[in-house]
Amino acid sequence: MISFQNVSVRYPLGNIALDSVSFDVEDQEFIYLVGPSGAGKTTILRLLLNDIQLTEGSILIEDMEITPKKFKQVAELRQRIGVVFQDFKILPDDNVYENVALSMRIKGFNEGETKKQVEEALELTGIADKMYQFPSQLSAGELQRVAIARAVVGDRKIILADEPTGNLDPKTTWEVMKIFKELEKTKTILFATHNTDIVNSMKRRVIILKNGKLVKDKKKGGYEL
Amino acid sequence: MNEILTSLRRTPYQTFAALSVLFFTLLLSGLLFISLTFLQGLLDYVETRPRIIVYFQVKAEEEQIFAVRDQLEATGKIADITYVSKDKAFEIYKEFTQNDPLLVEMTSPEILPASLEIDAKQPEYLPELADLLSNQPGVDEVQFQKDIINNLLNITSNVRKVTFLFFSYLMFMSIIVLTTTLSFKIALKREEISILKLLGATNMYIRKPFIGESVFLGFLATSLANIVLIGVLILLNAFLKDYFADLGNLSMSLFGLPLQVWPFNLTFAILTLSVTAIFSLFITLISSFTATNRYL
Repeated sequence: MISFQNVSVRYPLGNIALDSVSFDVEDQEFIYLVGPSGAGKTTILRLLLNDIQLTEGSILIEDMEITPKKFKQVAELRQRIGVVFQDFKILPDDNVYENVALSMRIKGFNEGETKKQVEEALELTGIADKMYQFPSQLSAGELQRVAIARAVVGDRKIILADEPTGNLDPKTTWEVMKIFKELEKTKTILFATHNTDIVNSMKRRVIILKNGKLVKDKKKGGYEL
Repeated sequence: MNEILTSLRRTPYQTFAALSVLFFTLLLSGLLFISLTFLQGLLDYVETRPRIIVYFQVKAEEEQIFAVRDQLEATGKIADITYVSKDKAFEIYKEFTQNDPLLVEMTSPEILPASLEIDAKQPEYLPELADLLSNQPGVDEVQFQKDIINNLLNITSNVRKVTFLFFSYLMFMSIIVLTTTLSFKIALKREEISILKLLGATNMYIRKPFIGESVFLGFLATSLANIVLIGVLILLNAFLKDYFADLGNLSMSLFGLPLQVWPFNLTFAILTLSVTAIFSLFITLISSFTATNRYL
């Protein structure tokens, strides 16, 4: 369960990144965050990772509450969340297995459990045959699959995806979306995107943001601005 | 371990710079430590043998000398007294000048002074006993180790001060070089660190490889420095043994425990290794924490 209560983010020069936004997310819910650039989609995801600090309101993530006061359990919070970025953020010197395993080693899983979960995640994302290849040997679509596998392992219940299909061609985009469709059965997913086709074809809850404000929150909505 | 070796291999120049500075720091620290303990051992050696030598006038009678000896013994401050007669003094003189027969020919027992070699129970008794002896009839000269001890104390105190300053300087320089080297490496891995943080890595998890790497360098430098130190001591051992032949064993008290510093031995070598290892650990931990702190 995630809950945003009147969350605002103001930068020191007065820019408003988010203006009194409130919404709740149930467990295993799939939500699209849509809106033009600068609308506040990435800000919401960064707030959930405590990568930026909110100025007003509060965010509840399971039993953790983030308020404008300094939040001290950052590592513990992030260990519950899997992240997928548009630019993949894969470690270039580690192979596929090591990149995915990292997510579990950070949480202190033993090597046996790590191996089991990593192999399962790589099967799920369809990249098990490239387990020992290095990022430089992979295509963009494959790199994104690695990033998704990394976000899934280690009992991370929440997945934040920030424009995960932004760098992919249409065919690969749909392959990646198939993986997310599979993941929504067990994970809570917040998916920030510009891609109208994805939002319109896979009808899920849509939160529309504009200039830092939540302008629409529709169950089984489409992309509309 | 593999990660550490890979990381060191990827930055050979920084690794070489850090290793060289650490090696020289630890080598010099080891040398200073050995010198300081040797001097302390020498000081303790001299201090535990408080001795006065009193020379009598050539015309002084044996009865006169024995009277002085009895008077000294009566003070209760004497551990041992040895009487060196004119004949015994001549024997000693002959031994010293055996390569120069002319000198022996020109000397006879009559012109040499008899003496008393006096070992006091405590070094503090020496000035008092020297005063007592100076006022005795027939006494020509009183020699005691006050000057030697004072000189040794001065040397030891100065060496301690210089060592402290030198240690501080070496440590500061090593920390600066190691911190800078690590900072370069961390700067190269800034992107990687930001990914680790987003995945929920704790600061300690991120620090661990950098700490491991610098501690490994410290371990390597400690080993090299000690190999060189031991090698030098083995090479110089014959010469030093000959040079300090009359010295016997030198010991000092370390935290209440006796430690033999001369002749060099395994316990002393292990202690030197431990001191340099602790010094190295201190430098590498401070450096890695300082370097990583800037990026966490």
